[in-house]
Amino acid sequence: MAHDSVPPSVKIAPPPVELERPALVENNRSIGWISDTVAGVIENNTPGWWKLTITISLFVSLGLPLGLVYLISTGVGVWGLNNPVAWGWAIVNFVWWIGIGHAGTLISAILFLLRQKWRTSINRAAEAMTIFAVMCAGIFPAVHVGRIWFDWWLFPIPNANSIWPQFRSPLLWDVFAVSTYFTVSVLFWYMGLIPDLATMRDRFRKVASKVVEPTAKFRNHLAQFLYGAFSLGWTGSNRHWRNYEKAYLLLAGLSTPLVLSVHSIVSFDFAVSQLPGWHTTIFPPYFVAGAVFGGFAMVMTLMIPLVSLYRLQEIVTIRHLEVMSKVILVTGSIVGYAYGMEFFIAYYGGNPYELYAFKNRAFGDMNWSYWWMLGCNVLAPQFFWFKWCRTTPWFIWVICGFVNIGMWMERFVIVVTSLHNDFMPGNWGYYSPTWVDMVTYFGTFGFFMTLFLLFCRFLPLIAISEVKGVLPQADPHHPLGGAKH
Amino acid sequence: MNHKSTPSNGQKSGPRYWRSLEHKADSPEFRAFVEKEFPSGVDLIDDPVSRRNFMKIMSASFALAGLGVSGCRRPEHKILPFSKMPENYVHGAPQYFATSMPTRESAVPLVVKSYDGRPIKIEGNAEFPNSNGGTDHYAQASVLSLYDPDRGINFKRADYSVRGGVEVTEFTEDGNKTLKVEPKSGVLKLLDGLSNNKTHILMEQSSSPSRARLVSDLKSKGVRFYEYEPVDFTVHAEAASIAFGSFVKPIYKFEKAKAILSLDCDFLGTEEGSFESIREFSAGRRVKDDHTEDPSEVMNRLYSVEGLLSLTGTNSDHRLRIPTGSVRRVAALFLKEALEQAEVEVDELNNELEAFAGDLKKDFPKSHAVEEKKDADAAKWVHECVADLARLAKAGKKTLVVAGYRQPKEVHLAAIAMNVLLGNVGETLVLQSYKPSGNGSIKDLASNFKTSDNLVVLGGDPAYNIPVDIDWNSIVDKAEKFIRYGYYNVDETSKKADAFIPAAHFLESWGDARTSDGTLVPVQPLIAPLFGGLTEIEVLARIGGAKETDPYNITRSTFEGIAGKGDSKWNKFLHDGYLVDSASEAVLAEFDGEAATAEWRKSVKKIIPPSSNNLEVTYYRDHSVDDGRWGNNGWLLEAPNPVTKIAWDNVLLVSLKTARDLLGSRDKELLDFEKVDGEDFDPKPLGLPGRFGFHSESGRFFQKVFKLKVGDREIEGPIWLLPGMADDVVGVALGYGRGVGRVGGAAGPLNKRSGGGGFNAYAARTSVTQHVAVGAQLTDTGDTYEVACTQEQGTMDGRPLVRECNADDFTAHKDFVKHFDLDSVHHTAHIVKGDDRGYPWEADHYKELPASPYRNNLGDDSLNGVKLMDVERQQWGMVVDLTSCVGCNACAVACRSENNIPIVGKHQVALGREMNWMSIHRYFSGDEHNPQVTYQGVSCQHCEDAPCETVCPVNATVHDEEGLNLMVYNRCVGTRYCSNNCPYKVRRFNYYDYNRRSIGVEDGQRKPGRFFNDDNHLNNSPLHPGNKSSNGEWELLRWYKNPSRGSVPGLDDGKKEGGEFDPEWDLVKLSKNPDVSVRMRGVMEKCTFCIQRIQSAKIEQRAKVKDSVEKIDDKESKISALDVPDGTIIPACQQACPADGISFGDISDPTSEVYRMKRQNRNYSVLGFLDTRPRTTYLAKLRNPNSSMPDYFDVPNTVTDYNDKNHGDIFKKKEGKAKGKEAKH
Repeated sequence: MAHDSVPPSVKIAPPPVELERPALVENNRSIGWISDTVAGVIENNTPGWWKLTITISLFVSLGLPLGLVYLISTGVGVWGLNNPVAWGWAIVNFVWWIGIGHAGTLISAILFLLRQKWRTSINRAAEAMTIFAVMCAGIFPAVHVGRIWFDWWLFPIPNANSIWPQFRSPLLWDVFAVSTYFTVSVLFWYMGLIPDLATMRDRFRKVASKVVEPTAKFRNHLAQFLYGAFSLGWTGSNRHWRNYEKAYLLLAGLSTPLVLSVHSIVSFDFAVSQLPGWHTTIFPPYFVAGAVFGGFAMVMTLMIPLVSLYRLQEIVTIRHLEVMSKVILVTGSIVGYAYGMEFFIAYYGGNPYELYAFKNRAFGDMNWSYWWMLGCNVLAPQFFWFKWCRTTPWFIWVICGFVNIGMWMERFVIVVTSLHNDFMPGNWGYYSPTWVDMVTYFGTFGFFMTLFLLFCRFLPLIAISEVKGVLPQADPHHPLGGAKH
Repeated sequence: MNHKSTPSNGQKSGPRYWRSLEHKADSPEFRAFVEKEFPSGVDLIDDPVSRRNFMKIMSASFALAGLGVSGCRRPEHKILPFSKMPENYVHGAPQYFATSMPTRESAVPLVVKSYDGRPIKIEGNAEFPNSNGGTDHYAQASVLSLYDPDRGINFKRADYSVRGGVEVTEFTEDGNKTLKVEPKSGVLKLLDGLSNNKTHILMEQSSSPSRARLVSDLKSKGVRFYEYEPVDFTVHAEAASIAFGSFVKPIYKFEKAKAILSLDCDFLGTEEGSFESIREFSAGRRVKDDHTEDPSEVMNRLYSVEGLLSLTGTNSDHRLRIPTGSVRRVAALFLKEALEQAEVEVDELNNELEAFAGDLKKDFPKSHAVEEKKDADAAKWVHECVADLARLAKAGKKTLVVAGYRQPKEVHLAAIAMNVLLGNVGETLVLQSYKPSGNGSIKDLASNFKTSDNLVVLGGDPAYNIPVDIDWNSIVDKAEKFIRYGYYNVDETSKKADAFIPAAHFLESWGDARTSDGTLVPVQPLIAPLFGGLTEIEVLARIGGAKETDPYNITRSTFEGIAGKGDSKWNKFLHDGYLVDSASEAVLAEFDGEAATAEWRKSVKKIIPPSSNNLEVTYYRDHSVDDGRWGNNGWLLEAPNPVTKIAWDNVLLVSLKTARDLLGSRDKELLDFEKVDGEDFDPKPLGLPGRFGFHSESGRFFQKVFKLKVGDREIEGPIWLLPGMADDVVGVALGYGRGVGRVGGAAGPLNKRSGGGGFNAYAARTSVTQHVAVGAQLTDTGDTYEVACTQEQGTMDGRPLVRECNADDFTAHKDFVKHFDLDSVHHTAHIVKGDDRGYPWEADHYKELPASPYRNNLGDDSLNGVKLMDVERQQWGMVVDLTSCVGCNACAVACRSENNIPIVGKHQVALGREMNWMSIHRYFSGDEHNPQVTYQGVSCQHCEDAPCETVCPVNATVHDEEGLNLMVYNRCVGTRYCSNNCPYKVRRFNYYDYNRRSIGVEDGQRKPGRFFNDDNHLNNSPLHPGNKSSNGEWELLRWYKNPSRGSVPGLDDGKKEGGEFDPEWDLVKLSKNPDVSVRMRGVMEKCTFCIQRIQSAKIEQRAKVKDSVEKIDDKESKISALDVPDGTIIPACQQACPADGISFGDISDPTSEVYRMKRQNRNYSVLGFLDTRPRTTYLAKLRNPNSSMPDYFDVPNTVTDYNDKNHGDIFKKKEGKAKGKEAKH
């Protein structure tokens, strides 16, 4: 193997075999190969599948303007809401998308702090997913209100009437939590992109100087200019790298509490109220675990096909998938524990209203949603106890699909079943969505996929510089690393 | 015109009279000026009620309002510039006028609130003798009919008729005539020459002495008169007249009766003048102070026998379920038992009665609820009931037996005989002399009417509601002239007429009426006729060719004939709203037993009990649309039926057993059963809700449509399971499917419509089967129809929301309301202050009580270091007495009227978006065949620690220093979080722009496949050109063309398709209360405790004490001088409540009524354990059952249900029973 090429004079004893981990990049690829492969995704011709999927995504995303224009012009009544159930799919979708938005920053920030090197292969795409998911999430609270044109009242803008937002309301906390999270996530993502943008700039410059065909030349010049503009004059100097690493660490430190806070605060929307089924102290940790769970599932849902279509299996390896499957197994079990604990407390707490709310979830009119949730979120991840299941991409993909459905159901169960049968039976009602609810929700899918496909096409979807950094070749103490090249 | 002083708060500012203008108006110069300035040619009748024109009309009304006696409201006088502001008129300040709403044989005395000349709110006349100012829901909603956009607005006449030798030029497809707008004079000319014996006039009943006078004049000229009411209450008087041998009518004094037996008499619901009965019944049941009074001594007891589940039945202490047609048998048994108890020796009659009654136990199993679910024995029930009545009679107490209008004379005779035996005549059953109208019936019309006679139809809608065995068309076809005077020119009767004369609403009319006790009341206009309609007496006067056709003068001369001449008498009459001491004298009449027995023997026939293939149909007066007369009134249509909670439609009501029989054997194949009598029962194949209305799948009710075959007639309607109906009975409400107007839904096949409006039950009703028809079958048509039900869950699920106790348990368990587990003293009593509270169970906890953040008496002005709020303000609170509430809907409709609550239409109600701020929850408990029923009105509870407030991100719902939970509409962005966090779910959200969208169903047809189109136009995007409310144009484009059109919705040019004038939006605007903002879409709204009334009372108080308060030095006295006196502020719900079930006032004032109520033992907060500290609390419901009755329950079923579900035992006395129960479960 590779060891043979190392001169015996510098040969150091390899680490003990039992501690050796599988390589993060398989086949002992060189540093240059990494750049070529990742940049190749951008530089090569547009693949047919990409054209097809973006067409579909754009078409699906039309649902969003359709649903929203109808909603805004006509009234919230176009959704399936009613008197006991004043929040429906919009809030479910909001919490679901926000949950998905957790994985990216968790991977890039918390795993960075924890020195989990495997994160480098997936963090870029996961962060992009985070940002797009938060964008989709942000649509819903903005449009679900009755008078959208007054949304700005939720911001603390000084005004002549001296009326401030109400700082006791969890919805206001949401505004701050989500907007902060979004801002920091974008900054963090962009920070990480800078060295890679510079790489792209340099590569396009090289190509642009060679091609003669005017259109191609112009395209390459344009690309060079745009990548150059956004790479902020990055030269890769030592000073740049020192500052960059420091800033990256700081932003990672800043993002880490946000990962935990944003979904805790979203959970306060429910936990702070006094509605049986919402009023639960377990919500913050349970929501965060659920968000990590759902977020990782969505990362895998996107990455598995993407990696295979772009043939990046050597960079995003089975090992990556296995590690993420383990995260899903752990967080899924936490979520399962929370479900059980909720029931136990409902029974043990001796509050008949709360006990009813949980009984109603499992055995009431909407029990289908509860059992879907339980099957998808608690049972499905249990397959990951088995190595084959953790290492077979198509199987992981199927399980992650279930997890995505299950997490949506979880939010549906929390939001709708608690509301539809609450304290006074005389007020009880039922909820069913309308076509507008559905079109809007699927529209956000299209929107999300469109953005994600554009990202794949035009930005390095794997952090080139970071992956290079975790290669053995980059480690001066590694047999392969240091001054060999 | 004399002004009524403000009933709620006006008495503080003194009466207002227009003396100077009145004086001035009488001067000839002034009259001349008026006529010169505005020549009589000015005619606004055919004009649209544009804002401009309306202001003109109104300014005339204001001006002339001061003219008092000068006959001010004639249209020819109406124009006077507003610059001549009447003295004492304050623009924007409401005025109150006494008037009355005529009903069939009576009238509802009213005080109507008028803003800038627009009547906007109806209130009862509290000064009327024996009145509390309460009204029924019909009266409350009647103001909306004034602004009904579908009312006949033009004088019309058919193209010249065939009978004149000229062909009718135009026919509509269905053969109806096309009526053309004609000048008023042209149409009225047709009335000439009708005062002869070729004229037949068909009218509705009326108690108007003026009308009676004109009718008798015309009768002397040979004109023949007929009266027809599809729902007729005269049987009460007819039976009494037979029984007492002279023309007398019975007046029931429920208040004095210690026990009441109702033989299918829904005196709390569908009988005439039920609001008066509710007042008396509730007064006789009220426990004023449960610290000192023993409820079992104070309360009356109600027994009822009925086939339907009526309001009376649901409020009774004991209820016997007997098919309506078989109540006669029970009545016979009652009479027999009463005769035996009274030891009257009439063996022969006794045997007859017993034979007639037959074996009730065999024919009517499960006729009453029993704990162990054994078959109930109706005979034992009757025996014990009579024994109770007799026991009371022996003790010198008064009782009352009443029979309902659906029952034949013999039942009434039996009831009267029982009253005689029990010594009630002259006490609880007062007789008054009565003069039958002497007019013919509709049958007489059919037989008397000859070819080329003339027909005049005044009011009603006989073509729609005539018994099917009388052919209306054959009468009409024979007519030489057919003149129709009515409120709608689009109804069935008007379509065939030669001429149409629009009727004036009673709020536009001069007239008079007599209330049920004969008191003379005025009908006084609040507004000049919006569309120039005539009153009935004017039409009659014109037919008679009388010189005097002005209804004002006619009414006045009638009055002078009764009370004598003189302005002061007349003015007082108008001011008070009634003529003092004009009630008919009570007469003492001897009961003619022989005649009654003879009549009984004559009329009774053997009655075969109904069975599953020989069903009985009971037609009943509907609680919303009456006999159809309110069929286009959105407030009433949207007020759900109190018992079924269904809005907008009528249904075929069946009992559990009947539903099961309809299923046949199919139910055995399906899963998901409920257990009924230990057998599986699955209502789903019928699309029915479960036993207690509990939906189990979709939350919406798509009911199977059944065909009801009665004789050779068939009607189709959606089926509905109502626990408590008698078995093998189908209950059908009359009055739906009239096909008039855009609100009530156009006529058409039921399954093609979804806008509501129900089906026409008159189509199966003959003159013989007016109330009950036997031999009916129900067959499945395979269609389904959506029914909008506002309450999907019928039981309380063991939750202590309504807390109940039996009167005989109460003394031993005065604190029972505090023993529902999660609630404790802390949660219920904290808002009551005062050291003298005297709650024995509270003394221990006194120090621990969480204090109110508003006022406390712990000698400390801080609570846990937090400074308490301003203690100088009055603290508002409400108490609802569940013992008084009968669930009649008057409060809900009054609230809708006062607070501009939009009508949302059936579709939205079905989706659960009804906007009613006050909803009345109805809960069933106990036996599924014969449940106990409770009602609970729920509106915003004004929690001191309101969960809605903390979650609003924009501070749109906040608290004020007086304890009100305020809703700031302008600030609301509509997150709806407040609604989610409200435990009472009393907040209502404007999901659409309900106030700017037409809810009308113009063609009554669903248009499938039209994108963005719905029946009610609500969810049409304004961007969509197909949106009818924007008249086919993009709203944005319209706004771009004319930005100054403001927020006026579509149709602002008053034109609709076909070019005919449509006043809908202008009328909608006129009907709004200007004191309350009209909410736009996307805004949350809820009960405000009628804050507009609170504020106006405070302003008046401030204005009143202004000068004097400056001189007060003492700060305390200064503050209390500004306090609004107790009883001054009356919210709309309390004002309308005929049962006096609602109290409102300052809960920090130990002398206030509401404070006294909150001190009652029975006072509790619903969901008190949440510690939101609601300002609205409830007084627990007391029942007064008789322990020797076979359907006696020790404990009300709701409490049993609570105990079963929560393993509690509130009364801690039923160990043996509790064990038995556990064994059973």
